[in-house]
Amino acid sequence: MNLMAEILIQVIIAFLAGSLLLGLHRKIMARVQKRPGPPIVQHLIHSLKFFFKETAIPKTVSKVFYIGIVFILALIWIVGVIAGPVAHDSLLIIFGVYAVYKIVEHNSGSSSGSPYGKLSCVRAVLSAATELPLFAAIVFVYLIVGSMNIGEIIAYQSIHGALIFKIPLAALMFFMLIITKSPYSPFAITKDKVLISGFETEHFGFLRGFMLFSESIAWYVLLWVFLTIFFGPLNAVGYLIGMIAITFITGFINATTPILSPNHSVMTQITIGAICFFGTIIMIFSGVVV
Amino acid sequence: MLDYMIYILAFAVGSILGLLYSYKQHGEPFVAVPDFNMPMAVVAILGWCLAFCSGNVILTAIGILMGGFVMGERPGYGRKETAAGLIIAIALYLLMKWAV
Repeated sequence: MNLMAEILIQVIIAFLAGSLLLGLHRKIMARVQKRPGPPIVQHLIHSLKFFFKETAIPKTVSKVFYIGIVFILALIWIVGVIAGPVAHDSLLIIFGVYAVYKIVEHNSGSSSGSPYGKLSCVRAVLSAATELPLFAAIVFVYLIVGSMNIGEIIAYQSIHGALIFKIPLAALMFFMLIITKSPYSPFAITKDKVLISGFETEHFGFLRGFMLFSESIAWYVLLWVFLTIFFGPLNAVGYLIGMIAITFITGFINATTPILSPNHSVMTQITIGAICFFGTIIMIFSGVVV
Repeated sequence: MLDYMIYILAFAVGSILGLLYSYKQHGEPFVAVPDFNMPMAVVAILGWCLAFCSGNVILTAIGILMGGFVMGERPGYGRKETAAGLIIAIALYLLMKWAV
């Protein structure tokens, strides 16, 4: 198939699947909290709705940044789709995408001129602690497989079995990142409700639409990468079941856990990351991982 | 991948249509345990059976659209019908798989 057509199809799938999964996430959280909750398709309708709403630009914003940042946000996650599901390229690109995403969070908050956005921007710097476990997880995958190429990681797992059974603690580190990125997460300090909507507070209309579009794609890409590098070669049904299962688990965790304060959030992430990091090193040197 | 895009689009469109239809039918406040709606159950059973067992892209897409229509109804509605449809469709799929 033509590469451009493949990219377009994968981006549409990522947006629709990500939106429906985030809708499911809200539904699960609501059911756990004994509320009826919105329909599963609500997140998708919500995202589309914003593209037709009036776009107001506050006087205090740094206009070029304020508008440009939402397109950069959409672009980096589209790059994530291209590097992951389309090209099966290097994990380092996925790491780069996540690192740039943190910069986008930071700049989106700082360009808004709103105190809520600016505080969220400061917290985005703190929450970069989530990248350390992600990088460590990628390093362990490299140590075992000998490559960072997603295609080669899939090929390795088809011969030697899923990596989740070899380096479960590295998978747990990656899972921490997924929990952090999920809505209403205990680690979502940049979107704490005391900051209204955090770095998104001052983005209205189609600008917010682009943000929701990017969030849906981000959720899909993160789940896809996690399932691909730890659960081996999967078919479409495997991905569907895996994504729904992870959405269920994160929904349960987020529905029952209050949001942590920034220092507790960062310390918890670093502590879990450190335990998993040293645990995996011990497993490798003691010969548990062959 | 084109077929998966068609399936997911069919599900999203079916869910939105189901939501619009059910809000038109039921304007009352949230009802926790509504009655079992037989016509909707037929739509769900037919839809999911087509989706799971037809083996044809267009028929599968139509089936997912019908299944999504019932599943996407407003909160509280369409749950039992969807469950019935999915159980029968999965049972039929397994029967067909074992019979071959």
